[in-house]
Amino acid sequence: MPALRAEKICKSFKRLFQEKKVLFDISLSIERGEIFGILGPNGAGKTTLMSIFSTLIRPDGGSLEVLGRDALRDTHAIRERINISSGNPNFPWSLTVRENLRHSAMLYGLSGRSLHRSVEEAISAFELGPQSDAKFETLSTGQKQRVSLAKSILNRPQILFLDEPTSGLDPEMAMKTRDLIKKIYQEEEITVVLTTHYMPEAEELCDRIAFLREGRLVALGTPGELKRALQIGHRIFVEYDGEVDPLKLRIIPGVMEVKELSGRVEMVFDHSGRAVSSIIKAFEGADILDIGIEEPDLEDVFLELAR
Amino acid sequence: MSWQGELHKVLSATYKNWIISKRNAFTLFELVFWPFIGLLSIGLLTRFLELGDDMVAFVLVGAIALSILQISQIDVAYILLFDLWSKSIKQTFVAPVRGYHLVLGAMLFGVIRGVAVFIVLAAASSHLFGFDFLAGGVATVIVFLAGTFLTAASIGMVVCISILLFGQRADVAAWTLSGIMMLVSGVYYPVSILPGPLQILSKSIPLTYLLEYYRSAYGYGDHQILLGIALALLYFMASLLILNLAIERARRTGMMLRLSE
Ligand SMILES: Nc1ncnc2c1ncn2[C@@H]1O[C@H](COP(=O)(O)OP(=O)(O)OP(=O)(O)O)[C@@H](O)[C@H]1O
Ligand SMILES: [Mg+2]
Repeated sequence: MPALRAEKICKSFKRLFQEKKVLFDISLSIERGEIFGILGPNGAGKTTLMSIFSTLIRPDGGSLEVLGRDALRDTHAIRERINISSGNPNFPWSLTVRENLRHSAMLYGLSGRSLHRSVEEAISAFELGPQSDAKFETLSTGQKQRVSLAKSILNRPQILFLDEPTSGLDPEMAMKTRDLIKKIYQEEEITVVLTTHYMPEAEELCDRIAFLREGRLVALGTPGELKRALQIGHRIFVEYDGEVDPLKLRIIPGVMEVKELSGRVEMVFDHSGRAVSSIIKAFEGADILDIGIEEPDLEDVFLELAR
Repeated sequence: MSWQGELHKVLSATYKNWIISKRNAFTLFELVFWPFIGLLSIGLLTRFLELGDDMVAFVLVGAIALSILQISQIDVAYILLFDLWSKSIKQTFVAPVRGYHLVLGAMLFGVIRGVAVFIVLAAASSHLFGFDFLAGGVATVIVFLAGTFLTAASIGMVVCISILLFGQRADVAAWTLSGIMMLVSGVYYPVSILPGPLQILSKSIPLTYLLEYYRSAYGYGDHQILLGIALALLYFMASLLILNLAIERARRTGMMLRLSE
């Protein structure tokens, strides 16, 4: 049984007699114990989709199953077992960090010792000790983000939804947060669904990625599959001295694109193997000064898909 | 879910209201200053008009009822108002709580504050104006307060409902509604002096019956308290039902997201 199964989810928002469709027939399935990424440009519908998955809002159509339950009917039971940290999070301003976490834990029905333990564990997991008695309104953006992350683990969720979990965090805290996501994911075997605009993060964390553009699911797969499907090849550049026959470059096996600059050639190769020896042969008669190979990354996938 | 779990979901709203009140200076104004000023000016007015004891009692009952109603209705409205001001509504409604958890929890705090206000005002009015607030016995006071708290909770819920349906600034409409209600329920005068149509309206408002009930202890004729309590209960249940529907509607329209922006 998958952790989440969505079938033809659609959503539109009405505002002043105008209807705007923001999600079109999204179908996907997220396996238990997977870290699943939802990527896409601003306004693609990621937050809306996360809000639907976490039962905060209802879709207009389609069906949704979360942890084996009908998420359009059995919302209450699902909310007990999931949690979400939203991007740009807010909490009651005049409550301190600890009070806010206690309040949230109570909303999840925690009490007594287990409430105390959950709150203190969450505070230490996200290093909020020094701020624990500070009012929420006095925190920095990154500290607020950490409160939201801390809140999201209070009820030991089976699915954790994280909307831009590292936005606003400094590089060190962002790294720690990624490590923590990996850690709770490994120890608790929970399913994590996250969005991010930071591609290395998605590449590092996500088993599979769904790519949204203008409310439509345009690609779905592992980072490797996405790169292959999009034929995003390796970039190889050669710096040289002398004369090179441009025709020879275009017949190197596997070459997809050739860009000539003065004293430098940039080529894109597919995955049929790196033809380094054929490249060197094509440069016969010239002096090769430098060769570099750049692996394609998700950034390339993103830019390609967002076009 | 265990009963402790259920209890703590209810207490979450009490806890939040308590912390926020504890931390804000305006709470002291809500709790002591404004009710006291209200009582004092009305009490002095009765002196100036040289009203007899029964008339003074009539007017003071209205002043006290109004203060209690105001403080405990705002406590229920705070369920959404605090979250609205801090844009944190999402956090509440993504959690497994239902309307009644929030309403009961907030109401509990409203009742505590309402009782506190009653004690302050009763003591002040007896000391300053010789008003015997226990003339009808303790039971009368309890029934009167219970009805008032139920009514206050309904008004607080209507505030929440209007925000969920119509957005940020819609609470004005709800406060207007409660103002009209106070006009026609005879806080400072018998409803019999209202024009005909308004009298009919006043018959549909529990506060009318609650005031008549409390005042009957001071020689102001009959009361229909059972009808009043029944109405208060009916409105309470209806408001709770509509609140739940409004929450679900806000999930469909996306208002739930917009209120957190
Ligand atoms: N409550 C709402 N009411 C009306 N329109 C909305 C609402 N929420 C989102 N939208 C619109 O829906 C579209 C998708 O928004 P969404 O927040 O899901 O995008 P996103 O992919 O999360 O973007 P970002 O990367 O900027 O966070 C946007 O055009 C937005 O304006
Ligand atoms: Mg977003």
